Amino acid sequence: MSASSDHEVAVEEVAVLAADLHARPAGQVTRAATGLDARVWLTVDGRDEVDARSVLAVMGLGAVTGQTVRVRGEGPQAADAVAAVVAVLRTAEAAPA
Amino acid sequence: MTEASATSENPTVGIVLISHSRAIAEGAADVAAQVSAGAVRIVGVGGTEDGRLGTSLDALVGAVEKVSAGAGVVILPDLGSAVLTAKAYLADQDGTEVMVADAPFVEGAVAAAVTASGGATLAEVVAAAEGARDVRKL
Repeated sequence: MSASSDHEVAVEEVAVLAADLHARPAGQVTRAATGLDARVWLTVDGRDEVDARSVLAVMGLGAVTGQTVRVRGEGPQAADAVAAVVAVLRTAEAAPA
Repeated sequence: MTEASATSENPTVGIVLISHSRAIAEGAADVAAQVSAGAVRIVGVGGTEDGRLGTSLDALVGAVEKVSAGAGVVILPDLGSAVLTAKAYLADQDGTEVMVADAPFVEGAVAAAVTASGGATLAEVVAAAEGARDVRKL
């Protein structure tokens, strides 16, 4: 464990999906959650949480437009990571047919 | 061949998809590049020079060079001689910056590409590809 436990942060936020969480938006979510010193998990509709860094697991949630996604982060940069993921969820664009 | 550029100040892990079929390799690379918003170095190689099914160690060597930017390269084979060719590549090279991922082809490519585009390390990209085996779709 890190000695700087006073920097450990736990954050939770919800976002209403602007588009179905298909391949490309899921990719954006994972990219937003990668590269920061934080772990981020998503869940929707009471399903088991999935790691936001797994694009396949994010797709596997099967979340669709209008559903509320719960985003939880832990770690020194959890606030930034959760904010980035929430921003993607709220602004995701629908995939072309 | 599918390729998308990545920013050079922070080199990302390169990815080579190898299949008997050029169409499979390039198609999977297209999907993976699109899901990762193009911010990844990925190519698909496969088939013989005259367009038949097959794999070529020379083509694989060229593809690895093409995507290598200093952060390492993951080779993802589909099956059969693509796997043997990937293993032959590893046997010939002495560095540790090229690894072969044992993973579902399309799903592993997508997971690897998205993870690489986020700036992950070589080991993390390999782990992302191999983790694709355990993710359910339904």
